[in-house]
Amino acid sequence: MNKNNSGQKGFFNSLGGERSEKADCLHRLLKSRGINFATGVPCGVLKNVISNLLNDSEVFHVPANRESEVVGIAAGAYLSGKNPIVYMQNSGLFSASNDIASLLIPYKIPIFFVVSYRGCEGEDAIQHLTTGRATERLLNSFNLPYEVYNQQNLGTLINRMFVHMERKKTPMTLLLKRGWEQ
Amino acid sequence: MKRKEAIKTIFGAINSSAIVVSTTGLISREVFSGFDSPRNIYVPGSMGLASSIGLAIALCHQNKKVVVIDGDASLLMNLGSMVTIGANQPRNFVHIVLDNGSYGSCSEEKSLSSFANFAKIAKDVSYPYVKVVYSEKTLKKAILLPNDGPIFILVKITLGGRRDFARPLKLVEIKNRFMNFLLTNNK
Repeated sequence: MNKNNSGQKGFFNSLGGERSEKADCLHRLLKSRGINFATGVPCGVLKNVISNLLNDSEVFHVPANRESEVVGIAAGAYLSGKNPIVYMQNSGLFSASNDIASLLIPYKIPIFFVVSYRGCEGEDAIQHLTTGRATERLLNSFNLPYEVYNQQNLGTLINRMFVHMERKKTPMTLLLKRGWEQ
Repeated sequence: MKRKEAIKTIFGAINSSAIVVSTTGLISREVFSGFDSPRNIYVPGSMGLASSIGLAIALCHQNKKVVVIDGDASLLMNLGSMVTIGANQPRNFVHIVLDNGSYGSCSEEKSLSSFANFAKIAKDVSYPYVKVVYSEKTLKKAILLPNDGPIFILVKITLGGRRDFARPLKLVEIKNRFMNFLLTNNK
C-alpha cells in the first residue's frame, strides 16, 4: 500500500491515514468513464473516495452543504456537458430524494451516486437504523438501479453500471458499506 | 411591479446568449409561456435548486452569463446555496430574487422572507455586487451594469397576476435543446 495520502487541498480536512487500493481503483475506473466533475457531502466511509477526487486536478470539485444542493449542482454540471459524480451518505439520499424524483428522473439526467451504506448489520449508531433498513427500498420504489458492493470485481461492476446508466439516462447508485476497502 | 413586469424587464435587459434558470412554480410557467427558448432551464419540482443548477452551469461555462430567476421562498428553501455561490465566486453569475413575501404559486401564503435580510446575507457571503430594486427601471439598470459577479439583485414585487399558464412538460426535449444550445453557442 502506498503510504501517506499527503498534499491534501480543497475545502475538507483529511484525517490522513493510509491510501486505499480499492478507493484508488474506484477512482481510476471513474476517470476511465469520463468523470470530470464532483460534488457531495462527506461521509467517513467515503474518506478516500473524496480525497482522491480532491487531489485530482482534472476533476472540478464543488463541495455542497446539503444533499439536495448536491443534486442541483450535479444536474447543472451534466447540462453543461460535464460528467459529474456525487458522493453522500445514505441518510442524505433521503434528503435528496424529492430532488432525484422531480429533477433527475423527469429530465432523464444520468448521475453516478457513490453512497455510503450506514445502518447495516453491526451498525453502532442508532440514528442510521431506519434509513439503513429503507435505503434499498427507497431506490426500488423510485425504480432506480443500484448495486451494493460486496467485494465483486470492481472493474466489471463499475463498467456495467455506467453502461446501464448511460443507456437508460438514469441516476445510478453504488452503495458502499463500512469496511468496503478491505 | 408584479412578477410579469419583472420577468419582462429581465428578458428585455439580458443578452440573447445568456443562460436562464428559473425556479419552481409560476415563475417558470410565466417564463415558459412568454420567453421560452433553448437557453432556458426550468426547475419543475425541486424547489430551491435553481441557484445550485445555475451555479454549476456558470462554473462550467465561465464565458457565458448565467441568470437565475429565483423566488424568496425557494431561496429560503436552499439558503445554503448562497454560501456555496459566495465560496465559488462565479463572475458570470446573476442571482435575481423575485420577492413577493409569499408562496405565490401556492395560495399566496406568507413566506418568512420579511425576516431574512437577503441583501445583507448576500454581502456577508461575498457577493461583490448587491442591489435591492423596486421598479422596472432600477431592475433594468442593475442588470445592465457591467459588474463582475456573483451579482445579487433582490426585486421587491407585489402579489398577483395570471396563474393559468401551461406547465413546461417536455423536459427531455428542453434538456436536449439546452445542451445543444450550449454546444453550438460555446463562444
